Amino acid sequence: MTDQTKGPGFGAGLWAGLPIALGYFPIAFSFGVAAVRAGLTGVEATFLSLVIYAGASQFLALALLAGGAPVLVSAFTLIAMNLRHLLYGPALMKQAGAAAPRRLAWAWAWGLTDEVFGQALGALARGQRFSEAWMFGLGLAAYGAWTGGTALGAWAGGGALEAYPALNAGLGFMLAALFLSLLLSILTRAALPAILVAGVATVAGTLMWSGTAGILAGMIGGALAGVLRR
Amino acid sequence: MSADLVILALLAGAANWAFRALPVLLMKREARPGGVAARFLASTGPAAIATLFVASVLPQLWPVPRDLWPLAAGVAATVLAFLPRRSVVAGTLCGAAGYAAAFWALG
Repeated sequence: MTDQTKGPGFGAGLWAGLPIALGYFPIAFSFGVAAVRAGLTGVEATFLSLVIYAGASQFLALALLAGGAPVLVSAFTLIAMNLRHLLYGPALMKQAGAAAPRRLAWAWAWGLTDEVFGQALGALARGQRFSEAWMFGLGLAAYGAWTGGTALGAWAGGGALEAYPALNAGLGFMLAALFLSLLLSILTRAALPAILVAGVATVAGTLMWSGTAGILAGMIGGALAGVLRR
Repeated sequence: MSADLVILALLAGAANWAFRALPVLLMKREARPGGVAARFLASTGPAAIATLFVASVLPQLWPVPRDLWPLAAGVAATVLAFLPRRSVVAGTLCGAAGYAAAFWALG
């Protein structure tokens, strides 16, 4: 039975993490395949997913390792790619409210990826109470799919999903569908300027510089549009 | 396991943990309601989600458009499945199914 005074529990978090897990799995599987093709062992590939746990950074890490880039330069590059995560915790806790517990944040906040942040923020915006148990469930579903998908991809090798192109394509669209659903769930007149500016800035930043620059431009530009709005 | 790989993973992983956890642990004081910091943080969520949606579909539109009909079908299925019950899970799963069905039908 759900304890209404404490907010949703671990199991509800796991269930909420299902779309993320389904979206993560094929990407992680692809990472496992790519890692083995780049000369890593299955253990090394899974180690990268366990310890770094950031999709684009991990694919870049493969290229840097294969290219023989200096380790400190490589690390700095990977770290710079994930600066946007600095904004997620404060934004989430602002939505959760001043009384929200954060005693175990040192553990559950490890799982605050783009998708987990979006799902958690969407749930809070729809009126759900914040609970650390729910955050653990949500984060574990995503983390489990990511590390498990990597291990399976490294073990299976290429071609496993390529035999089912429609399934592969549908799974590839899963994260876009998740973000669109989340966007619909938080869509209000007040949020519209931030959403529109973020979209335009993302396109402009991507076309002019790179995908990473586009993401940073979208997030910061959209948030600034919210500040300027009266 | 190579030493370079272990060092790279540990440095990048430690930074990721710091980026995700430290702001939550260190942000003890709430931003003043209605203040610049509060408005910035309140807008960060919608801006981030909009950014991630655009970033996830943009590679299909630019520089070389591809699979536009499955994309349109996936977007339509997501919206239509979300609206009746405002369910994120239903929207996501039906959106992916719609995309896959269109991809399969167009062969």
